[in-house]
Amino acid sequence: MINTIIAMVRKELIDAARDKRSVMAGLYYAIGAPLMMCGMFMLLIGQITSPEALNITITHGERAPDLVKFLASDDISQGDKADRKEIELIISQDYASNMAKSRAAELTLIADNSNEKLQSSIRRIEKSLQQYSAEMGSLRLIARGIDPKVVQPIKVTIEDQATSDSKGGMILGIAIFMMVYAVFISGMNLAIDTSAGERERNSLALLLSHPVSTRDIVLAKVTAVTIFAMLGLILTLIISKIAYGFVPWQELGFSVNITPDFIGLMLVIGLPIALMAASLQLFVSFMAKSFKEAQSYLTIVLIVPMMLSMAASYNIAPDTLQWLPVSGQMQALIAFIKGKEIPQMQLLLSSATTLAITLALMFGMERSLKSEKIVFGL
Amino acid sequence: MPQANIMHTASDKERQTQLALWLLLPLAAMLFSLAGHAETDTAPTNDTCYVDGLPDRLRCGFVTVPENYAHPEGRQLNIHYAVLPAIKPSFTKEALLAIAGGPGQSAIENAPTFDRMLSKVRQQRDILLIDQRGTGQSNLLQCEGEGFEGALSLNEDDLDIASETQKCLDGLDADVSQYGSEIALKDFEAVRAHLGYDKLHVYGISYGTRMAQLYMRHYPQVLATVTLDGVVPMQQSVLHIGDAIDRAIGLLLDDCSSNALCHGQFADLEQDLQQVNTRLAQAPVSSQVRDPLTNEPLTLVMTRAKFMGALRMAMYTPNIRALLPHAIHQAAQDNFQAIMGLYALTIDSTGIAAGMHSSVVCGEDWQRFSQVERQQAEQNYFTREMVDAFDLSCPIWNVPAVDAEFSAPITSNIPTLVLSGQLDPATPPSWGEMAMAQLSNAKHFIAPYATHGVAYQSCGNDLIAQLVSNNSLDGLSDDCLSKDVRRNFYLNANTVEALPAAKQALSSTSHTEAQGVNHD
Repeated sequence: MINTIIAMVRKELIDAARDKRSVMAGLYYAIGAPLMMCGMFMLLIGQITSPEALNITITHGERAPDLVKFLASDDISQGDKADRKEIELIISQDYASNMAKSRAAELTLIADNSNEKLQSSIRRIEKSLQQYSAEMGSLRLIARGIDPKVVQPIKVTIEDQATSDSKGGMILGIAIFMMVYAVFISGMNLAIDTSAGERERNSLALLLSHPVSTRDIVLAKVTAVTIFAMLGLILTLIISKIAYGFVPWQELGFSVNITPDFIGLMLVIGLPIALMAASLQLFVSFMAKSFKEAQSYLTIVLIVPMMLSMAASYNIAPDTLQWLPVSGQMQALIAFIKGKEIPQMQLLLSSATTLAITLALMFGMERSLKSEKIVFGL
Repeated sequence: MPQANIMHTASDKERQTQLALWLLLPLAAMLFSLAGHAETDTAPTNDTCYVDGLPDRLRCGFVTVPENYAHPEGRQLNIHYAVLPAIKPSFTKEALLAIAGGPGQSAIENAPTFDRMLSKVRQQRDILLIDQRGTGQSNLLQCEGEGFEGALSLNEDDLDIASETQKCLDGLDADVSQYGSEIALKDFEAVRAHLGYDKLHVYGISYGTRMAQLYMRHYPQVLATVTLDGVVPMQQSVLHIGDAIDRAIGLLLDDCSSNALCHGQFADLEQDLQQVNTRLAQAPVSSQVRDPLTNEPLTLVMTRAKFMGALRMAMYTPNIRALLPHAIHQAAQDNFQAIMGLYALTIDSTGIAAGMHSSVVCGEDWQRFSQVERQQAEQNYFTREMVDAFDLSCPIWNVPAVDAEFSAPITSNIPTLVLSGQLDPATPPSWGEMAMAQLSNAKHFIAPYATHGVAYQSCGNDLIAQLVSNNSLDGLSDDCLSKDVRRNFYLNANTVEALPAAKQALSSTSHTEAQGVNHD
């Protein structure tokens, strides 16, 4: 029986390889998605980090030459008009005279705080001004013979338990989501082709007329689709490992590291998901009446695992969700990346559910392939 | 006598800050060094630790070494280290070793300032901080002092340096002859080997540059690059610091007189300084004041030592230096408030391990300070005070002198960046020039507006990051150092901007002119 299955799997793969374009389309995702992610993040990092030399409009700088000098030493200055950010700092008319009498000297900062591209720059200016103010405040106290510590009654010590790897957990949550999704996408075309497609080409009935059991046929088809799904996953992992290394994450203060350990774990956890994805896709495709219909249904069906894994990566899930297939495994992977303990119970249970669903779907397919309605798409 | 080191203002937390500087004075450091030393929570059993002022998780630990390498079975020391882990560890076999100043400062306690300054280097490489033996957590050689509550009311001339030194020595459980630089260097090597780094980039600040130069001399094979910031050349005894301080005071007076606002407000600054000095040299001035911190009433005994000490330490940090013309002018008017405020900063923030400080200076600097140099020093207030103090304390400390080769210039072709601040009151650019004598692959950059610790006050830290990532001096340029970051001086106790009186005068003239026009 094993031999028949192997022979049929080979047949399926050869079949798949014949229609290179449609099958490769699935794998394009595996290659393209991590590359696009990295490209996007590179652009994003460039935009959200404040530029080294920050150019803003300073109105009436002549009223506070020392402040302007201070800002310049922090690389905040007027610079070329063309490069200026839409941030304006206005120095009030009585700035110097208020300053001389220790009254509050007024500055006005005009900017749109909802503009993500400006937020870090605005914060940087605020911090810089705060610093200037604190420095002057301290020196005024010193000039009066008072220790500046007097105005800092509380000292807060922060002990951040994050590591530079766990700080990148949010990004990796998205990355893991893309990887899990690759499992679903990569085998999808083959799944449609080998079920609805085969029926449209009228070769399904021919296959069923051979002296092989429908169970063997189902097993062979699921195996072939799973192989493609895993191939997609491996490709994504390899590409991610290389591409993520090029993104300057350290500028955001963390690192994103795809370690061999993670790759291993991802492959182990990914296999049951790939099996489920394969049987789900085949099941739905067999139910559909035509190739096109199968495509439409699958697109809708794909939303379910996508939602599950999104829920896990954004941590919006209620606790019960972590026991469900896909989201349970995702949470285990995220925990691993953050250096926390893997929730084994949860992982085992969600993997078991995944396999149970797989078996149920395969059984359903085996039954349905015995019905003429399904075989001839009536 | 000169006062201890670090400038620590609330204000400059974020930027250029206090670092660890040189200072020298056995006794003052000893007396005032009390309890104030910041504990870092390092549990040696646990690999993770935190340092005051830095939220990041650090990797900490210690290496056990013999106190005396000639007697490996004798007393053992735990040399503590902390690693600021690279954000993105791309070079796991390399680290940047940052060496603190003093002598006697803890590198680990200075982790927050090192972290800020070296943030670019840390993006890809670990930063290694080691508490040199006798400092911080590595068998701290600290002396019990009277506490600084009394510091303001104390006349330093009344101190019995010899007996204080003896008391300190008796209280230490250590062979103080084993705390010199060359022995400590072996500990550094032991830590490097323990952590498995093949190559080190070394950054030394102030006294740390002496350790860095010794590293170049004894273990050149493990060094990738070296940065010497505020250099103490091997050829030089640190007791020459008095000349550097005088030079810096001269530059301060020049800066004020060439700045229109400052000159307008304090036209006779030099005479003011002279006057205060002469007056305090005759007798201290006592007055009833409030304690800068607790607001308790106390008698301030303003001595020349306090005045000059406050002046000296204020010159380490550019933004505090800005207050000096006002403070000097007020002192000449008999108001020592600002001087007291500046002096108070120096009392409780020394962070210097006085015992280790004495071991280094008595062994490596005091004995090689020749008779000729002593005679010249008679002219210099600071050097005289320091030499007098060490003459009393070093015989008690009784540390053997280093060999003559110790003072030989360093010969090396390791890529070396030498940074000097033009306004440095401790290690002037001429010292950097001296260190360059036999360095064949080195560049000496002078930052025109920096004081001590160029990398903290300018783009010097970017140059270090560039040097470390290129492993070479090629392409390094000092252009960015000459960016004019000079700030105004304080014109009164409140402002650095032009005083309104001057402005009003201006606007009233224009007003009358306008009126004149109207009349016409």
